[in-house]
Amino acid sequence: MNYVVAGYSITLGILFVYAVSLGFRRRRLARAVAAVEAARAPVTPPDPRSPQ
Amino acid sequence: MTTIAPPADPRLAEGAPATGPDGSARLRATLWTLGVLGAVSTGATVWLGIWVTPPDKVQGNLVRLVYLHPGVAWVALYLAFGLAALASLLYLWPRTRSLVWDRLAAAAVEVGVVFTACTLISGSIWGRPTWGVWWAWDARLTSTAVLLVLFLGYLALRRVPAEPHVRARRSAFAALFAAVDVPIVHFSVLWWRTLHQGATVLNPTLSPEIHGSMAWTLLLGIVALTVDFAWMLVVRYRIGLLEDRLGAEELDRAIDARRAEGGAA
Repeated sequence: MNYVVAGYSITLGILFVYAVSLGFRRRRLARAVAAVEAARAPVTPPDPRSPQ
Repeated sequence: MTTIAPPADPRLAEGAPATGPDGSARLRATLWTLGVLGAVSTGATVWLGIWVTPPDKVQGNLVRLVYLHPGVAWVALYLAFGLAALASLLYLWPRTRSLVWDRLAAAAVEVGVVFTACTLISGSIWGRPTWGVWWAWDARLTSTAVLLVLFLGYLALRRVPAEPHVRARRSAFAALFAAVDVPIVHFSVLWWRTLHQGATVLNPTLSPEIHGSMAWTLLLGIVALTVDFAWMLVVRYRIGLLEDRLGAEELDRAIDARRAEGGAA
């Protein structure tokens, strides 16, 4: 029975760790893309009718 | 008031949805549903496999690993690498050529490599008490190990810097080359005298050699791991999409910086 428990623990453990790492990778990249896109946000030229 | 938006990047037009970096609400709901379904069905498989199903007449308690090992192998060989081969073909076909297929193939291969490693590890843990060795240079085991190495090579090839379509083209050929090993793995137990047992479900007569609660638990295990694979595939695809967006943005910034340097000089 030890082999069975080891088989389940190791296999499902690897899959769980990989799934968690995928979640972290996706979140980190989403933040990086949001930051880069915010830096390239649309530029609004000054309104010529404004007092300045 | 006039708004000057940044120029649309044609490299992102292929398969890039018009959503924020976190994806749409519908995608998040789908991922959440898949995640919950996968966790619950995998938990149910563990419960049925370890505590509910009876031991086997011949293998005793070791048969409980059958609810996990074939399911993991099914996902790796047939779903992940089958999907990678199909997506690579669709990329190479001129009418359907799109970076969507390249990203899908890359996602399927990465998840498939993890499942293949799990297949070899769970098989080894089963082999030690059954055959007396952790590893044997048997046709099924060796061809599966070769498959793992081939697809690791695919992932290494993708890391070689190149223009997206050049990378996609060479990766598609590599995936198709590696996928030739999938039928060899499947038929290895029929073509050669192997230590590994023959197929329990997908045998030549398609008559499953497993019945009752054992059969249902095996089926549940396969469904659970398929759902887990689907969740991982969608998340890994999103990662590929975000990497491409980030890569394109960084390239634009580098080009802008060079232009600014040229203007200053």
